Amino acid sequence: MAKQIVKRDGCSVLFDSSKILNAIAKANKAVGEEEITATGLLFVTEEVCRLLEARSLSNVEEIQDVVEEVLIRFGFSKTAKAYILYRAEHTKIRDAETYLMDIYKKLTWAPAKEEDIKRENANIDGDTAMGTMLRYGSEGSKFFIDNYVLPKDAAAGHANGDIHIHDKDFYMLTETCCQIDLIRLFKKGFSTGHGYLREPNSIESYAALACIALQANQNEMHGGQSIPNFDFAMAQGVNKTFRKEYVAAFACFLEVKNELDAAEAVARTEVLLQGLPYQPTLGNGEAFGQALLACHGETMRPLLAKTHLHATQKAIQATRRRTYQAMEAFIHNLNTMNSRAGAQVPFSSVNYGTDVSAEGRMVVENLLLATKAGLGNGETSIFPVQIFKVKAGVSFNPEDPNYDLFRLAMETSARRLFPNFSFLDAPFNAQYYREGDYNSEVAYMGCRTRVIGNVYDTERQVTCGRGNLSFTTVNLPRLGLEAKGNTAAFFTLLDERIDLVFRQLLHRFKVQGSKKVYNYPFLMGQGIWLDSEHLKWEDSIEEVLKHGTLTIGFIGLAEALYALLGKHHGQCEQAQALGLQIVQHLRRRADEKARETGLNFSLIATPAEGLSGRFVALDKQRYGTLEGITDKDYYTNSFHVPVSFSIAAFRKIQLEAPYHALTNAGHISYVELDGDASKNLEAFETIVRFMHAQGVGYGSINHPLDRDPVCGYIGVIDDCCPRCGRKEGEGVSEEALLQLKKQYHDVPM
Amino acid sequence: MLLDTQCTDKKVATEVKMVGAGQGFERTRRITGYLVGTLERFNNAKRAEERERVKHGAA
Ligand SMILES: [Zn+2]
Repeated sequence: MAKQIVKRDGCSVLFDSSKILNAIAKANKAVGEEEITATGLLFVTEEVCRLLEARSLSNVEEIQDVVEEVLIRFGFSKTAKAYILYRAEHTKIRDAETYLMDIYKKLTWAPAKEEDIKRENANIDGDTAMGTMLRYGSEGSKFFIDNYVLPKDAAAGHANGDIHIHDKDFYMLTETCCQIDLIRLFKKGFSTGHGYLREPNSIESYAALACIALQANQNEMHGGQSIPNFDFAMAQGVNKTFRKEYVAAFACFLEVKNELDAAEAVARTEVLLQGLPYQPTLGNGEAFGQALLACHGETMRPLLAKTHLHATQKAIQATRRRTYQAMEAFIHNLNTMNSRAGAQVPFSSVNYGTDVSAEGRMVVENLLLATKAGLGNGETSIFPVQIFKVKAGVSFNPEDPNYDLFRLAMETSARRLFPNFSFLDAPFNAQYYREGDYNSEVAYMGCRTRVIGNVYDTERQVTCGRGNLSFTTVNLPRLGLEAKGNTAAFFTLLDERIDLVFRQLLHRFKVQGSKKVYNYPFLMGQGIWLDSEHLKWEDSIEEVLKHGTLTIGFIGLAEALYALLGKHHGQCEQAQALGLQIVQHLRRRADEKARETGLNFSLIATPAEGLSGRFVALDKQRYGTLEGITDKDYYTNSFHVPVSFSIAAFRKIQLEAPYHALTNAGHISYVELDGDASKNLEAFETIVRFMHAQGVGYGSINHPLDRDPVCGYIGVIDDCCPRCGRKEGEGVSEEALLQLKKQYHDVPM
Repeated sequence: MLLDTQCTDKKVATEVKMVGAGQGFERTRRITGYLVGTLERFNNAKRAEERERVKHGAA
């Protein structure tokens, strides 16, 4: 008999047969039938020991093999099965430990620039304490989800790269994103869970509370947060600010003109402005002036006319100044405020451009100006993602009331990469549009998510209070490779993947639906999510979640086409036709599933951050390096023409536009413009207008945006800074900088 | 005199204060809809994608 046994970690311990006996007893007990008596247990153990001796085995794994063998031979098949399971569980836990600890070691000791795993999300600093803490949690959670939560087929599909379950670490916790209606939220004031905030009363507090709402909601969801009607919402703050400024300026004028003391002037103003049919606003100066005069006797009128004129001018000036400062602060806050335990700023988006009121226009003008000016030292702000709504009759044509803002938006985007442009006239967006109702205007969330259609409640095809619940992506190039050039086989495989994704999305929906209002004190507790205001604290959120979308996505259409046809859709018409057929098929399946379930199944052109590299790495392992398919480090984003393919901007837009109509859960097209876009506004506008004409839903123009932090130059920097002449890493003399400072206001010194 | 000037010149030259040595340029890029202030935080796949982007002629 072996005196020693060798454990898994290589060290030896004294052999103890009672441990074997106990393990068998435990397995037998777990079965509940097929009871082995005490003598039986001894007998089995003895037989195990005999075999070990005869075969001179001393390794733990070998011992366990022998136990299984003996149990089966003695007819205790169920106990043997329980023993195998018990053993497998332990292996899993042991693997978990090794696997997780390996990851934790990397997270702990490797700098982010060396470890890809620490750069999974480009906006989280993987080197900071909270960034690392988040990653520990995320990796631990993923392991838990993979091994104990996911249906086996979904877990396997994700692990081997057939599909990608996005934000898997949040599987048990929450939903992706929400479009927040600030107008509703602000009406009676709100609570963030850390204190109650009154209804705001000035543009400054409107902007500040907007940040707080984005932040509070970000902490309850795993995706970005969006304000779909920013101009309409902030306009109310401008309105309140203007009124106060008007009254103050009115009193001030009386005080000086009539030599009153301040209190008297205020009291006088109150009396004079009483009983008028409406309040003074930014837009109604003339009408209000007439009403004011009409309300008072002949003798009063000359003074009142002068006072009104003065008050209006002063109030406009002050309101504009304050709105600019509020927008500047809004941007600064969203680039610096913390969420997720301080590891990142909230992922925020704001949509605007269709409010034609004087107040709404003032908001947008000043937000754009502040964006164009940049942060403290002229840096480009990363957040919020800004989306300008382009709409004929409102902002698109030179005769439209907001055309000037559209122009300013393009100027700003040519300098700062934001805003992007959404096109409300694209037929699939226009079908929801009702004039004068922001809730019917399609909005896009930064990552490109689009939520408006609603099969669950066809009366409520609206933007506000809704968002995506979760999404999962299909690896299209893999299907192309598996189909070996056979298109029919491709569609059969695609259907299998789609079935798998739908099953998994529904599984996740069940988990999400099991939550209660109290799990989301802000999102649900404050009535931000549609219909959640009717729920009580302990209520389930399953029913209201049905307003959200369950979304299937795809990646690498270009590589899939290349695998099937030897060409992608930028290269040949036939490939474009097949590409459209594939995406149409995906959409049809989503529509069918939506009809069948009454849930908002929809299709997204996946935004793929960590994913584009993961899929291709797995496919490279499986199929080797294949030209046009696995020969890069990434798969091409959704339906895009490959970024490395030489193509004219207009052709690219033409090819990609039809996919926008098919991807009802979100899409975006990019054009890469050469050189300093701000010096080529004409080209910029031509491209945006072409997107509009082609039926693009959401688009933006990329251009090189570099900055020298030493001299403050912004524009294209190749090798050498055009302003101060230094190369990357070189110094400049202080004297030279002082000279530059005289020439340029934005030299940071 | 001559010597003196040379001397002063030298002194000035050594006192020229240089700023910015070691500082790189900031390159802001868009990635899956979001802007990122520095390429360093891109993961490997996205870095490769950014590198391979070609410009689209607008003519
Ligand atoms: Zn410079």
